[in-house]
Amino acid sequence: MINLVPSQDRSKADEPEPGTVNGLIQARIDGRIGRRELIRRAAALGIAAPVVGVMLHATSDLAFGAPNPARAAAQTEGTIPANAPTEPTGAPQEGGVLTTGTIEEPDTLNPYVTQLVTATDILTGIMDPLMRYDSTQQLRPALAEGFEISPDGLTYTFRLRQGVTFHNGDAFGAQDVIDSWKMIMNPDFGAFDQQGWEKIVDITSPDPTTVVMTTKEVYAPFLSYVGGSTYISPVKELAKGPQAFKQEFGRAPVGTGPMTFVEWLPKQQIVVEKFPGYWGEAAKLDRVIVRILPDDNTQLVQLRTGEIQMAAGSGSISATRVDEALGLEGIALLEHPTLGWSHLDLKHVDFLRATKVRQALDFATPSKDIIEKLLKGRALPSVADQAPGTWAFNPNIQPRPYDPEQAKTLLAEVGLTPGEEGVLQGKVPTTDPNVLDGEVKPFEMEIWGLAGDSQTQQIVQVIAQSWNAIGVKTSPQFQDVSTIWGPEGYQFNEKMTACLYSWFNSNDPDVMFYWHSSQIPDSPTGTGGNLPAYFNQYNFQAEIDRLTAAGAAETDQEKRKQIYFQIQELLHQEVPVIFVYWGKAYPAVTTKLGGFWPSAYNRMLWNVQEWYLTQ
Amino acid sequence: MLRYTVRRLLGAVPLLLGVAVISFVIMQLAPGGPDALFARNGRMSQEQLDAIRRNMGLDRPVHEQLLVWLGNLAQGDLGTSYSQFRPVTAVIWDVFPNTVLLMAAGLGLSLVFSLAFGILAARRQYGFVDNLTSFVSYFGLAMPVFWFGLMLQLLFAVRLGWLPSAGKYAAQGGGDVWDLLKHLVLPAFTIAIGSIAAWSRYVRSSTLEEAGQDYVRTARAKGVRERQVVAGHVLRNALIPLVTVVGIDVPLYLTGAVLTETIFSWPGMGRLFFDSLTTRDYPVLMGTLVLGAVLIILGNLVADILYGLLDPRIKYG
Repeated sequence: MINLVPSQDRSKADEPEPGTVNGLIQARIDGRIGRRELIRRAAALGIAAPVVGVMLHATSDLAFGAPNPARAAAQTEGTIPANAPTEPTGAPQEGGVLTTGTIEEPDTLNPYVTQLVTATDILTGIMDPLMRYDSTQQLRPALAEGFEISPDGLTYTFRLRQGVTFHNGDAFGAQDVIDSWKMIMNPDFGAFDQQGWEKIVDITSPDPTTVVMTTKEVYAPFLSYVGGSTYISPVKELAKGPQAFKQEFGRAPVGTGPMTFVEWLPKQQIVVEKFPGYWGEAAKLDRVIVRILPDDNTQLVQLRTGEIQMAAGSGSISATRVDEALGLEGIALLEHPTLGWSHLDLKHVDFLRATKVRQALDFATPSKDIIEKLLKGRALPSVADQAPGTWAFNPNIQPRPYDPEQAKTLLAEVGLTPGEEGVLQGKVPTTDPNVLDGEVKPFEMEIWGLAGDSQTQQIVQVIAQSWNAIGVKTSPQFQDVSTIWGPEGYQFNEKMTACLYSWFNSNDPDVMFYWHSSQIPDSPTGTGGNLPAYFNQYNFQAEIDRLTAAGAAETDQEKRKQIYFQIQELLHQEVPVIFVYWGKAYPAVTTKLGGFWPSAYNRMLWNVQEWYLTQ
Repeated sequence: MLRYTVRRLLGAVPLLLGVAVISFVIMQLAPGGPDALFARNGRMSQEQLDAIRRNMGLDRPVHEQLLVWLGNLAQGDLGTSYSQFRPVTAVIWDVFPNTVLLMAAGLGLSLVFSLAFGILAARRQYGFVDNLTSFVSYFGLAMPVFWFGLMLQLLFAVRLGWLPSAGKYAAQGGGDVWDLLKHLVLPAFTIAIGSIAAWSRYVRSSTLEEAGQDYVRTARAKGVRERQVVAGHVLRNALIPLVTVVGIDVPLYLTGAVLTETIFSWPGMGRLFFDSLTTRDYPVLMGTLVLGAVLIILGNLVADILYGLLDPRIKYG
């Protein structure tokens, strides 16, 4: 979204980088560059002539009024850290309707088959899990009032809350939990998410308010997955059978949450309203309407016109558009860290198998500049796979500085020397990954990134440039997400490749999925997240296998923490992937909404019963 | 006429079959697949993924998938959406009427304005009105739809606040015809602007051509009133070429609505198609493509039949 008000009327602090179509248009509107300069820079960026024409037209003085440097600079408020519920100054009003805008339509509202966060953003207000994460990463009781773990760590006993009713009037009890588990594990149903539940060998209920789950092994993330993120469906709906339950419940979910489902108009909106029979304190708002919008352009326009009063959850404002959202009247922009880590996969083939080569590429990656200049500080530095601010995060590791000289030295140490046109070349390792003794190859790489995402494209270009500068010939490749992860994806050809993308951690620090050898796909259509090791396992595979498995099996949090600290040190030392940054989220909300407290640990409507509007 | 129509409809069957097979093959050629994202999900085991593939029928060879799909199509079953887990017919039916509504509104605007502009321009060739409509036409033709849409949105929704920026109804308190019309104005104009520009040129030139014919002079010489000459003689004949153009353009409204529907958040087929493309929801994509092909065939057929009605010289046997 282009801000049509010249920058003199906005904050001077954050001017958009004129390296994109929108950035150039903005720079022209702001009067920072002239017409001729716009054409020159557009040509340099390879923008097609008709588009340049449109850009010139869009920025002509006739279109939006000439920039006026004499206008006084208006003070724009910055973003507000979301470390407590919002507290507007006005008096709270009874009831009210809040309209929020999401930019992705849920696929289905069936909690066990949805793949999209935008669905759980809504479901979390309709359905309850046994326990719920608050915004400080603490598990709080929900449908379970408490739990006990047996001394051997294999049996979990949940005491269920009494007097809870589903929106269909049925009473909640142990059978709902048991039947939900059976549905999740039913192969004819095809659940998307069985994590934790697949560890259960048996569930019994000695009485209607107690469930006892027996697991096949000690599994530390169990409470986080089974207790904290899986929603319980009513027996009556589950009894319809796998196909009917999948289809019908997915269009009209029934839960025990503070909001009941009202309607879903495809590509228009989803409406939920207050459930008076909620087991906790009933919701203050009458209704929440989730408008389904096609993209963040429309979203910003509607925030501006007041057609929506909120953009949160998966529909939060992206880091690159924060400046535009900051200027909106009556809208506060919150910020909080996320559990998403942006990184460069380094496929373990040829030179990339050698630790020093990977360290060299880390030295040659200007992560600090990427965060400060490209992302304007709207991200956090990254050294490993645990999010800053979470309990498993190791604060003692320093990121490698950007140091191309150091990188060149390391590459020379392993025997890579400049060849034709300055591109490094040398022998590739054969048996020992750190000994380069095979055939001679030039150091040529591809970096893959997500097509259509301007932020990714800029970052990939910057990294390719700095790697080229140390003699690693690097060419960017942009593909859509299904291609990247499909059988034709980068990870399944033997070229040296890096790929920039983000993984999203869950609330538990378990990271076996990313690094353990059991998570190496056995074929291009196989499952698993340990992609860099598809052709060759890591040279530290045995150690990371041992550590990640130990972390998942250790239930003492202090001991677990030490294990994850060690994993982070090992990852920082070995650089199996280059850690670039941790993303931040920017929910936008009307300054009249109270009780709103978003975080990385829960979804949009997690505490919707506490939300209120002021007059 | 009836025999002709039936023959045309029967001839459409192999055509549709061809469209279905070709789109199916092209879809299979695209890299990635509907299960690509599942495999890279931390919450998915190999057994689960195999079960999901079995449920979708993706474990069968491609030619078998195609035969199954064609067999179901013959029975009017378009299959089940991979992402929404419900019948494709239901998924399409949710949005299809909205697209038809937008198409109809756009078509109505296009016809009214292009006829008006075309006739006004033709009344005095190279006069002021003619030059003005020429200018407007070239402007309309040259303008990218997305840009025009955004500008309308900025002006009428953001700056002036007269109209809602997007959607079909207001989030609350809406739902009546007045609310719908307010939401329809901007997208309908956006979708119509190109046709208004192009069609008014056709109307102008064919009107000019007909106006110079002998029968028009004869009509005037008989003392027929000018209004009657234009409406009853000139226009009726001038409309025939327009019918061809409209017949070809109407189906384009359906497919070309993707940008307009996206800008104005209109809940229609264009957005459905685009969303299904990104998730590789093959059954929904195939369903929309086949529906699009049916509409194009019907559009052409209706145009051909209209010829016969407008021009008695054209007879179908």
